[in-house]
Amino acid sequence: MITRQFGSEVRWMLRRPRTLIGLFGLVLVPIIISFGIWTASDEGEGGGGPPGLGAILQGNGMVVPIFTLFLSLNLLLPLVASIWAADGLAGEAQHGTLRGLLVAPVSRVRLLFVKLFGLTAMSLFAVTLMAVVGIISGTAFLGNDGMMTLSGTTLSTAEGLVRIGLFILLVTFQMVAIGAVALAVSSATEHPLVVQAATMTTIIVFQVLGQFTSLDWLHPFLITTGFPGLIDVMRDPIPWEQIGDSTLLAGCYLLIGTGLAAIRLVTKDS
Amino acid sequence: MTTSTSAPVTAPSKTAVAARTKGLRKEYGSTVAVDRVDLELPEGAVLGMLGPNGSGKTTTIRMLLGLVRPTQGEIELLGRPLPEGAEQALPHVGALVEGPGFHPFLSGRENLVRCAAFEPLLPRKEIKQAVEDAIERVGLAQAAHRRYRGYSLGMKQRLGLAAALLVPRKLVVLDEPTNGLDPAGTREIRKIIGDLHAAGSTVLVSSHLLSEVEATCTHVAVLHRGTVVAQGELTELLQAGGSALQVITPDVETALSALRQAKISARPLGDGLRVELAGTSAPQVIETLVQGGARVFEATRWKTGLEELFARLTEAEEAERGMSAVDTLDGGRR
Ligand SMILES: Nc1ncnc2c1ncn2[C@@H]1O[C@H](COP(=O)(O)OP(=O)(O)OP(=O)(O)O)[C@@H](O)[C@H]1O
Ligand SMILES: [Mg+2]
Repeated sequence: MITRQFGSEVRWMLRRPRTLIGLFGLVLVPIIISFGIWTASDEGEGGGGPPGLGAILQGNGMVVPIFTLFLSLNLLLPLVASIWAADGLAGEAQHGTLRGLLVAPVSRVRLLFVKLFGLTAMSLFAVTLMAVVGIISGTAFLGNDGMMTLSGTTLSTAEGLVRIGLFILLVTFQMVAIGAVALAVSSATEHPLVVQAATMTTIIVFQVLGQFTSLDWLHPFLITTGFPGLIDVMRDPIPWEQIGDSTLLAGCYLLIGTGLAAIRLVTKDS
Repeated sequence: MTTSTSAPVTAPSKTAVAARTKGLRKEYGSTVAVDRVDLELPEGAVLGMLGPNGSGKTTTIRMLLGLVRPTQGEIELLGRPLPEGAEQALPHVGALVEGPGFHPFLSGRENLVRCAAFEPLLPRKEIKQAVEDAIERVGLAQAAHRRYRGYSLGMKQRLGLAAALLVPRKLVVLDEPTNGLDPAGTREIRKIIGDLHAAGSTVLVSSHLLSEVEATCTHVAVLHRGTVVAQGELTELLQAGGSALQVITPDVETALSALRQAKISARPLGDGLRVELAGTSAPQVIETLVQGGARVFEATRWKTGLEELFARLTEAEEAERGMSAVDTLDGGRR
């Protein structure tokens, strides 16, 4: 029964026009990035000055997916997660379909898990899709001589793929954590836009707060503080400490978000 | 008329109940939506729920379905207490509450498939067939492939009904099912309710169409200002509403004095009199009239219609001032 509900949920999300448009937009990011690097490398050769970004990355197509996800995690991926979370509960309440699900019946806690599953599955799908397109377009534009790490070593293509896989999982987890908090907001309103606005405002405010050294004490609690540390997957060997901290922090957000959403949903009138 | 203080007219029920509420009360902030609702829905009955706008019909239905938590009171649905027993009871309940709710970007059929995926009683293999059957049953076959976004009001309502009928139900709850339907659609709803009744399902239907309720329901419950002011079997309620004799006579004055002497209450009406039959009988009235010297041209038994009963139970004095006010509990207390 639960697998059938999971399946129905994912199918429903995939059928939404805005999901398809969103996925299409996400796929453009790695393509634009590879293209940008490629044109930069052309100019670098012509000018004869210091080697540009493109020159450094020549033959390094494998960093494109990492670079893409790393950039997107700051704004684009939280936005997508917040849209899915918004449609999941607030959107269903707005259309009156939440009532239908509840009298079917789906217990409220289970409904939350169905929503969380949909969010996770779709996040993983979106992030993987971006990475795969990144690998392909990166290789096409820049070539592939293995992955150059930030520590200066070069990994084989197979090892590089493992690193990309790891990064996919880490980024997805951050996205799901943000989505879980967005679900908590989503359970408390009938207006999907409120959910998106609240989530994005929070992410941006967190990033601004992260710039103030006077607020040092606050930084360990901001989920956005954990984002930069994830790039450690590109070091050789991988220093796990920052990655661990970021993931732990995201885990806390996930638990708190899910908990709040469950409490709200169970007592909600609909 | 002070209906809120008078004792509710309640015909006692003998049979098993499909749903029952006790002392139900719901507050929304400072608004009291529903108060002291004791509703009994006998198994196999078709209960028509009547009441002016804002009298608490939808709120009561929502509480019955576990969508809304009552502030006070108990609910029993198909023998299980709510909210604990919701997961056991609700699979057997089909509902259309406060208008249909579907996703605009999916077709009618896809919407039903999504609903079906969440029906515990529907095995995966039977989903497709159940969806087609439901579409057929509500007469939506022509439009099932179109997006819900483009549906007309009546088509939306039909789709909502189809979702309620996906699985054979013990109880079907329909909140204003005829809303927006054409006459043929209204007739079909009547037929669907009849079929459900014949198949042994219990039906709870709220409606503003008194004639529909009179034609389809076995029981009625009338809500007024958040409280049940009358409930029971339709026929019993109508009888309890009192009966009278409509007498056509040209000798109104003679007739009135003759009846007054016999201590029978009557008043002039149209071409004659309306005589209350409380404590007397039709032959006795006519005998009195004839002996008193009044010529009786015609005498007909006057039966209370639902329309009249409803008006008497719910219409407040303010009805003369333009449109009648909405029927909230707070309004009554002001
Ligand atoms: N979510 C809510 N928040 C605040 N008040 C509410 C809410 N739902 C219902 N009410 C109030 O409760 C009262 C009863 O409303 P309800 O919808 O049950 O009436 P109804 O009998 O279904 O009316 P109608 O015939 O118009 O459908 C009204 O005064 C309404 O304003
Ligand atoms: Mg209503």
